Amino acid sequence: MALLKGTLDVLVLKALSWGPMHGFEITSWLEERSGGRIDVVDAALLQAFHRMEERGLLEAEWGVTKNGRRARYYQLTKAGRVRLKEEAAALVDHVDALKVILTARSAES
Amino acid sequence: MIRPGVRRLFGLPLRTVDQVRSDADAELDAFLEERVEHLVQRGMSPEAARSEAMRRLGASMDDTRTALRESAKRREGRKRLRDIIRELMDDVRFAWRQCAKAPAFTMIAVITLALSIGANTAIFSVVHRLLLAPLPFPNGNRIVMPVQESDFPFPNSVSPELAQAWESRMHAVTEIAAASEYMFSLRPDATIDTIPSAAITANFLTLLGVRPALGRDFVRADELPDGQATVAMIGHALWQRSYGGRADVLGRTVLVEGRPLTIVGVTPAGLSIPLARTPPPDIWVPARIEKAGEGGSGWGNGPTTFALLRPGVSAEAASVELQSVAASLPDSVHRQDRVRVKRAEDFLTSRERRSVHVLFAAVGALLLIACANLANLLLARGWARQREFAIRGALGAGRARIARQVLTESMSLAIVGGLLGIGVAWFALRLIVALRPPTLDHLADVQLEPSVLLWTLGITMTTGILFGSAPALLAGAQSTGDVLRRETLGGSTGRTSRRVRSTLIVIEIAASLVLLTGSGLLVRSFAALQRMPLGFEPRGLVYATVLLGAPRWRDRKLEFRDAIVERLRALPGVTGVAIGTMPGKAYSGGGLETEADSAGRITSVPLLGTVFISPDYFHVARIAVVEGRLPDPTVTADGKVRGLPYSTEVLVNREVARRLWPRRSAIGERVRIPPDVDRGGRVDPWSTVVGVVDDTRMPEVRGDIAAMQVYSLIPPNLGDMPIVVRTNGSGDIAAPMIRRAIAAVHPALYVRPTLSGDTYLRDGLAPTRFAMALITSFGVLALALSAVGLYGVIAYGVSQRRREIGVRMALGAESSAVLRLVVGGGLRLAGAGVVIGVAVAAAGARVLESMLYDVSPTDPVAFAAVALLVAAVALVASYVPARRALHIDPAETLRAD
Repeated sequence: MALLKGTLDVLVLKALSWGPMHGFEITSWLEERSGGRIDVVDAALLQAFHRMEERGLLEAEWGVTKNGRRARYYQLTKAGRVRLKEEAAALVDHVDALKVILTARSAES
Repeated sequence: MIRPGVRRLFGLPLRTVDQVRSDADAELDAFLEERVEHLVQRGMSPEAARSEAMRRLGASMDDTRTALRESAKRREGRKRLRDIIRELMDDVRFAWRQCAKAPAFTMIAVITLALSIGANTAIFSVVHRLLLAPLPFPNGNRIVMPVQESDFPFPNSVSPELAQAWESRMHAVTEIAAASEYMFSLRPDATIDTIPSAAITANFLTLLGVRPALGRDFVRADELPDGQATVAMIGHALWQRSYGGRADVLGRTVLVEGRPLTIVGVTPAGLSIPLARTPPPDIWVPARIEKAGEGGSGWGNGPTTFALLRPGVSAEAASVELQSVAASLPDSVHRQDRVRVKRAEDFLTSRERRSVHVLFAAVGALLLIACANLANLLLARGWARQREFAIRGALGAGRARIARQVLTESMSLAIVGGLLGIGVAWFALRLIVALRPPTLDHLADVQLEPSVLLWTLGITMTTGILFGSAPALLAGAQSTGDVLRRETLGGSTGRTSRRVRSTLIVIEIAASLVLLTGSGLLVRSFAALQRMPLGFEPRGLVYATVLLGAPRWRDRKLEFRDAIVERLRALPGVTGVAIGTMPGKAYSGGGLETEADSAGRITSVPLLGTVFISPDYFHVARIAVVEGRLPDPTVTADGKVRGLPYSTEVLVNREVARRLWPRRSAIGERVRIPPDVDRGGRVDPWSTVVGVVDDTRMPEVRGDIAAMQVYSLIPPNLGDMPIVVRTNGSGDIAAPMIRRAIAAVHPALYVRPTLSGDTYLRDGLAPTRFAMALITSFGVLALALSAVGLYGVIAYGVSQRRREIGVRMALGAESSAVLRLVVGGGLRLAGAGVVIGVAVAAAGARVLESMLYDVSPTDPVAFAAVALLVAAVALVASYVPARRALHIDPAETLRAD
């Protein structure tokens, strides 16, 4: 399932709310959590990191992975935490509304 | 490799472009490898895992790499910007805290800055209004005036024929328009007896670059000949006053001289003829160039012609074109070498221009003194804060970082000072407008314009950098270890600082002395002007001109003259009435030549003032007749002659007598207006000099016309009637009464504004008073700043030398010796400042020469007085801290170690 437009950032923020992670950890966390239902395009994800760091939502630092590779570890900034709270609430609300509308029993069915 | 702190300071990227790029690549590679490894762990073959990883990437490897490099670059840029802003905010916050901790220092700094920046802004407004942008119209900097220069100090506009000839083949200019101002009666019942009006060509507003506020502009078809105009525009003020600003004013008629004109438009608020000295016109009527000068029944000053330079063309180029047009006119009366194109700023005399320059320089000096003073205060504080800087340095703040912190503080102070300075400037401008001399009358509407505020911003920034940089450099230059060691030892510190501060003080004192010397010279001048022998009594003397030149008065002129004199004589408080002009002012000149003497030599003066009088003029004005007698009114000029020759009997003043007959009495000599080819070779009859009267003068009026006078009885055909009235009170109070008396003779008589000798005298003193008041206030402010600075240096010196002084006192030094030690130090600085200042002032005072009266630019009295004043102030500024040194307890200072 392709991602709804504009939801990638908030998902990344959510993933990082558990603690610092590097890029691949974030994508595998998202895949795991969604039970494989969410398909993230890697190129887009990597660019999203840069964009969010540029906006001050994330901070990055070089670290070493479990497998002994150098990788950029991302973590939430204060601004990122605030953004996550706002966006998540708005998105959940939105999805609820969609659900109500789309599951309503219409006259034909 | 360059350290990150340094990189940040100079705005370099924190990481180089290459680093950012390789980081982006490394991130991508690590990601892909993690993905492959993950897939292999799930049992995929390495090849399958790799292709799956590429599939999941969603784009080609190259595209992804490029895109990531780009986004990484953008990210670094943004982060750098954010860092800079954050540090700046930190610095500013820190600066505020520092300032709040030292409220006295902050207050002094801000007040100093506000006063000096405010004074600068105000004076720059004046410079801007008078020299840089004298015409406040959209096309202001392209508007020029073609003039014909003459022997008279006031150039006339070129003739309408020349203006029209130029218009038919203009290249350097794109529009030629004319305007003339005049007054006329709106109603015959004298309820509004006169209102300012203007006759303009249809393209006048276009030339200025303005549009009517309401309705339409004039078009060429409105320019009808000989007062047949049918339309008019009304001024914004009249529209508001008489029509309540309603739009339905268009199409109404207004009676002008009994002729109904349809109102077609309203001119923008405050619109007036450039450089005109009359109030903004209420009525504007269209006229052709050649007719623009002949308004209504009143008087006109002749049309003023204006031209609009083609963009990029200089006034000089336009002058050349105008001269070639003048040369080509058939039997030209325009002397080609005497027509030229002038800009508005060219109409200022060199003295007016000089005084503006001097003020500008003075206020600049004031700003420099303020900078030096603040640098001094900051240095003193910087030294007090040395420990703080050293500790911050030890904690890892770079020297550059600390220097920048100091600069941020000075900039913050400068900005607050600048903002308050705008308020100061507003008040200062009101003061300048109130003090302005009549020759700078168009300063009346000077304002704080946007370009002026831009200047304020500029000087605010410069000031902040100037006074902050010395402390910033010194703060950075100290080695941390040195400072901390010295501090603990409590020894004397900061030789560099003390030298810098002493130098600054010497400069401040020298600059203050230069300003004060200028002010001293002007004060002496002013005093001399007030003592100047005038040769007549201006107080209580009122001068008015009744305009009788209009054709409708042609046959009633003499009857009116008698009636007016009669009625004025009967007024209470009036002790004398005579025909004649206010003495001491420059009036229209002509020439005067003598008969050939035995050697056939003719002596002449080319230019002098001519005053038309009645015989009792000298008695009323109180001008002494030093030789001879008054002219006999029954002996009149014979025949009807064009122009105005002198009466058969005339008087001259002593200056004329000295020039024409240096070795003998003037009485009985014959003089006439020299024949002039320009006037068609007409020869005037001879007049006999029957008397010599005292010279008259007025402050600020110079030149031959004012210095040399010939007095002739008023000829019957003279249009205007000048009158002087002697009152036994103040002339200012009597003026309106005189106006009413003249209106009672006939309600339609127009009196050109009555002015009293008291006003003339005040106006005559105004230019000197203006320069004197401003330069003196700058000088006093400068001296006050220097005194504060000197006090600061001496007080600081005392606090630094507590131990030394304590030891001296413990060893039995007399308190007078301690006083001498401290005060002597202050006076040495002041002495150096005074010597340098006197030298600079002596060299520079010549620029004031044209502004001085009866005082040499190296006037010893002014120099000595100012030097003494500065020395006295320096003495006080050093004595106060010295007194404090006497209270030092030797035991305590010794124990402190």
